[in-house]
Amino acid sequence: MAFAHTEAVLSRWQPTINRLSTDLDTQVQLIALTPTELDQAVEQKTVDFIITNVLTAVSYKREHGTSSLLTLVPLMSSNPAFAVGSALVTRKELEVNSITDLRQLKVVSTDRKAFGGFQIFAGEMAQQGLNPFDDFKQLDFVGFPQKKLLSLIESGDADIAILPTCVLENAIKRQEVSATSLKVVLTKPSAELHCQSSSTLYPYYSFSKLGKTDHQLATKVIKSLLSIQATDAAAINGQYDSWSATVNDSSVFKLLRQLQQWPFVTNWTSIFKTALPWVIAGFIFLFLGYLHHLRVKKLVVLRTRDLKSEIYQHKKTQDALFAQTEQFYKAQRVLLTGEMASGIAHELNQPLAGIRYLTQGCIYRLSAEQSELKEAMTKAIQQVDRAQETIKRFRNFCHQPSVMSYCDINMILDDTLTLMAAEFSRVKLNPQLTLENISISGDASLLQQVFVNIIRNALDAMEGVATPQLFVTMESIGDQVKIEFTDNGKGLSPQALGRLFFPFETSKKNGLGLGMIICKRIIEEHHGEISARNNLDMGLTLTIILPQE
Amino acid sequence: MCRLYLVDDDQDVLDSLTWMLTGLGYEPLGFLSADAFLSSVDITQAGIAILDVQMPVMDGSALLSHLTTHQSPIAVIMLSGHGNIAMAVQAIQKGAIDFLEKPVDGDKLLLLLGKAKIQTKLNTQRNLDREALETKLATLTPREHEVMEKILEGKLNKVVAAELNVAQRTLELHRQKVMQKMQVSNIAELAYLMGKSSEY
Repeated sequence: MAFAHTEAVLSRWQPTINRLSTDLDTQVQLIALTPTELDQAVEQKTVDFIITNVLTAVSYKREHGTSSLLTLVPLMSSNPAFAVGSALVTRKELEVNSITDLRQLKVVSTDRKAFGGFQIFAGEMAQQGLNPFDDFKQLDFVGFPQKKLLSLIESGDADIAILPTCVLENAIKRQEVSATSLKVVLTKPSAELHCQSSSTLYPYYSFSKLGKTDHQLATKVIKSLLSIQATDAAAINGQYDSWSATVNDSSVFKLLRQLQQWPFVTNWTSIFKTALPWVIAGFIFLFLGYLHHLRVKKLVVLRTRDLKSEIYQHKKTQDALFAQTEQFYKAQRVLLTGEMASGIAHELNQPLAGIRYLTQGCIYRLSAEQSELKEAMTKAIQQVDRAQETIKRFRNFCHQPSVMSYCDINMILDDTLTLMAAEFSRVKLNPQLTLENISISGDASLLQQVFVNIIRNALDAMEGVATPQLFVTMESIGDQVKIEFTDNGKGLSPQALGRLFFPFETSKKNGLGLGMIICKRIIEEHHGEISARNNLDMGLTLTIILPQE
Repeated sequence: MCRLYLVDDDQDVLDSLTWMLTGLGYEPLGFLSADAFLSSVDITQAGIAILDVQMPVMDGSALLSHLTTHQSPIAVIMLSGHGNIAMAVQAIQKGAIDFLEKPVDGDKLLLLLGKAKIQTKLNTQRNLDREALETKLATLTPREHEVMEKILEGKLNKVVAAELNVAQRTLELHRQKVMQKMQVSNIAELAYLMGKSSEY
């Protein structure tokens, strides 16, 4: 595994590979791969053995079943289990006493996948509940080589560099930086490592074999590597002491777990791959949801339109009924006015007639000498005549002439029943109809008045009757039509029956007593007859006979 | 003196009309309803009735119809508070002398009463004539009746005899009997009598 400078990596490891080739007597090829290339190579199993940092080795062990065989023993540590850490390098004059001080500082690192250069310290911060991506003033990944970071710190372009342990010490040794200008902060004491570290320490490079690699080959390779001495060319070039059996890497597991819980090291590819079907399913679901939404919206629009038209129709019917009711009451008012005028005229006419008769009777009794009296009485008669003339004019003025037209009785009766539907439902009455299709010449609105008056009287008469019944029968007899309304109400006393068609005769508390006289008048205007009789058992039957056209 | 009847359901109107008619020299009898009138008056006798049209139970025009159908000789004058042409025509058709609006003027009524007096006399006479004729006709045998009809058609004796299939001599005897029973002396008289009866 190599981040950059493949040549440097190759020259460091080639002697070791050469030693292996010699010992195994076969051709061993060394390939330097970037982390991404390495991921692919391991997945596609194009390599047999890998040399990686322990964190990578451990994550491969979990994801691809590699087995860690050996750990490299470094030069600067006596224990390969505590060989790598992170060092925070800064200028001598900068004071950093705690991890929280880092918040005000500009930080640089090489790569987010660099083990000592980033991941170890990121794990350290995660443990403290901090997030390196949020909790620095600024964090930049500037890439390799590592000494570039040191010069950035020296020049003041950055405040802190996260680097693997020993990078600063090696640079000082090679006199690349001055020993006095830079320092490592937040150091943790370590007995094993000879360099300063700002974090806990982890094992050095790991040598692993892939799951598919033959175990006999692996054994031979291990034997060969274990035989390398610190003084051998392989070890000197490889900058290591020797190889040892795999050390305890439980701390690495802990680090890995810690890092994986943090989004900044999330394995986006694998997450993407596992999540892809869910994401697709999610999208399909959302899409279906959207389709459903569209469909529901369309249905709502359609239903709304239906409802609107229904409401419109309903309103129209209601308006029509309302207009009809209105017209009915108007007609009734006119008729009532006319009938009242007529009734009053009649009532006044009677006493006036009495006065006139009496006066004239007196005149006839006068002797020839009483001419003065005769004159006065004649004048009294003239006054009576004048009063009567006024009454007559008034009556004629209020009289509403009927407008005859060709009309269907059935329809008039139907309209009447519709008009009175509310009253029927109030007493839970369903009129029994026996109808025929008969047309006559008449005034529909006046005939409706007749029907309404008769039915209303019937309803009043049936008040208090447990099961009210109303029969309406229509029958054509010769050139006449007979319409009968039969109820099962209280009926009428013989006296009341005799005066049924007289004005101001009523048995009702609030009645004017004009309903039936109006009916009679209207029916007579239609050249018909109206009569009433008590039924044998109970109730009243009203019979109307009208000439048919 | 000719009997005068008044029928009106209003007591006051009835009284005042009686007062006026008494002033004119009549002695009217008042009734408050058609029923009261019918139950106490012999309608086969001559008389004059002044009827109010608007009355409960049986109104004026119904009473008029009743009188007409019973061939009463009573002459009728109709009075109405608010009459119309249709009512007037109907009343006249049913045989009323006149149809007047209430209140009627005394002088006008006096004239009508004069007319009515004559009318009721005529009616009585007509009834008597009709009854007499009916009595005479009743005495005829069916054969004589037959013969009379044929003769009135203007047929000759021998034609009638041939039609009835009897001897001419027999027919002449029948004919003689008919003239005798009908109390006429010639055919013209018989024809006049029978013709008048069709008016009844």
